[in-house]
Amino acid sequence: MIEVSELRKSFGKVNALNGLSFVAPEGQITGLLGPNGAGKTTCLRTIYGLLKADSGHALIDGIDTSKQPLEARRNIGIFPDKFGLYERLTAREQIAYFAALHGFSGGQLEQATQTAIDRLDMSAIADRKAQGFSQGQRMKVALAQAIVHQPKHLILDEPSRGLDVMSTRILRDLLRDLRAQGTSILFSSHVMQEVAALCDQVVVIAAGKVAAQGTTEQLCELTGETALEEAFVKIIGTDEGIAA
Amino acid sequence: MSNPIATVWRKELKDALRDKRSVMAAMSYAFFGPLFMAVAFYFLISQLTDPSDVEIDISGTDHAPALVEHLNQQGIVQRDKPWPAGTTPIELEIPANWGEQIGKGIPVEVIITADFSAQKQTTDLRRLEKAISAYGNQIAFMRLQMRGIDPNVANPITLIKHDTATQGSRAALLMGSVLIFFLMSVFFSGMNVAIDISAGERERNSLELLLAQPLSSHQLVYGKALAASCFAMFGGVLCVLLTPLVFQFLPLHEIGMSVSLSAADLLLIIALLAPLALLATALQLFVSFRAKSFKEAQTYISLLLMVPMIAVFGVEFARLKSPALYYLPVTGQHQALLDLIKGESLQWLPLGLSALATLVVSWILMRLIGKMLASEKVVFGL
Repeated sequence: MIEVSELRKSFGKVNALNGLSFVAPEGQITGLLGPNGAGKTTCLRTIYGLLKADSGHALIDGIDTSKQPLEARRNIGIFPDKFGLYERLTAREQIAYFAALHGFSGGQLEQATQTAIDRLDMSAIADRKAQGFSQGQRMKVALAQAIVHQPKHLILDEPSRGLDVMSTRILRDLLRDLRAQGTSILFSSHVMQEVAALCDQVVVIAAGKVAAQGTTEQLCELTGETALEEAFVKIIGTDEGIAA
Repeated sequence: MSNPIATVWRKELKDALRDKRSVMAAMSYAFFGPLFMAVAFYFLISQLTDPSDVEIDISGTDHAPALVEHLNQQGIVQRDKPWPAGTTPIELEIPANWGEQIGKGIPVEVIITADFSAQKQTTDLRRLEKAISAYGNQIAFMRLQMRGIDPNVANPITLIKHDTATQGSRAALLMGSVLIFFLMSVFFSGMNVAIDISAGERERNSLELLLAQPLSSHQLVYGKALAASCFAMFGGVLCVLLTPLVFQFLPLHEIGMSVSLSAADLLLIIALLAPLALLATALQLFVSFRAKSFKEAQTYISLLLMVPMIAVFGVEFARLKSPALYYLPVTGQHQALLDLIKGESLQWLPLGLSALATLVVSWILMRLIGKMLASEKVVFGL
């Protein structure tokens, strides 16, 4: 379970997070929906311990990520905002590198790497150097890196950005698979359809705090709209009245 | 359970070895460094040992055939060819009254007209002066003998020069510059790798994900620093091994020099370079982890290269002689190498302490980089 409570973070005069709280339970896909600049990436970076919150905390299975970042990171898989590959390494070597950083070695390491490769159906490119990979192939490598240690929590920052239809399908299938295995999945997006298609729960963020939370149906009900998009606009729109 | 430092080290080394640019950078310095030195030495030697005749303009040869004969024996001859452009002619003028004056025992004025400040002609002029005054001495000697006086009366002091410069120490003068090449080799060879694993990591957007893995930023820095210093050492070792090979082909004996480095000496030099390789890498990582791109890092690092150069050249040219130099990083290794090449006994304690100081400074730098990478300001450039 990923738990975020009362996170506050400011960069100079800009308040990026303004008392953000939500929970991403096990076996569910939680979507973090918000316009650009709402604080999604800041929130995720705080969860994996790269940013220190001014107050509040983020917990991974009860482990405070700011106090025990290494412990917390052992239990999460990360698909970051920006992912660059090591052009001179093969896909397999990159995935194995991340498995090794998670403490795998020997046969166990090879096994985990192969499992991740099979799962993403990428044996054809596994032993090719990353140089010249397409965007979709790069995404697969990055996803494989994130799940190679079979984490109980998966955090994805705008994962479908720049993907073609096939790659998006692979991504969705993978996320549904992992959900069925009881993984808590948290992903950020500003694409409505994606969130509507995948998420069990949507957390709408605006100006660094939760503007609304619930299933897509609940959000539509809440706003009296039939489409999530309209609901989203309404929620964000009312934000101005609430903002301090 | 694998060690994260070893994991990072292995990965970076594999990555760097596949990078042709990094490998070329390490190798080219090691190859071209000694070669460049050899060419410079070759010209120096051929200039110093120039055995050819000194050709000058001599006027009035008819007046003093014996003197001319003497000069010819000393390799100073009448010039037939014109002087090359930009060279001031050397003229020797023997006056018409030579025979008369010599006969009367009155000093003869022999005139040399030349540019005495011209570096190239210094040796020629010295030979000419020496030859003329030797001839003068011969005449004086004979005159005294003819007058029944022991010529030694006019020679109260015999100056004997004991040149204590051993072959080794004369070599040291020239080898000083070779040493600087050795020292710099570790700074040059690992440079490309150091930039690639720091600023390069940021440029290809892989730094954030790497830092979000379950290893501390310190472990990451140690792994990376070790990988880059392996490369630095690779270049250093190559440079140290190639130099004696190249020097075998130089006619060093012609200028009374011998450079003999035993296998043990070479091993010692390599051992001296090892902590320096770590320091070089730590310095380079410290600078280039701050840079946002490869290009930016290159600019910083080329400035950084000046630091060891200034340290070493400064000591060399200012002729600094302070015992503290033996204990400091970079200068400590430089002094030890100098002693080694001069054939003097090594001072093991300062040598060990300077190696230790080098390692400590490197460690402090690496801790600082680790701290830097834990700071969100540096990582995200906030």
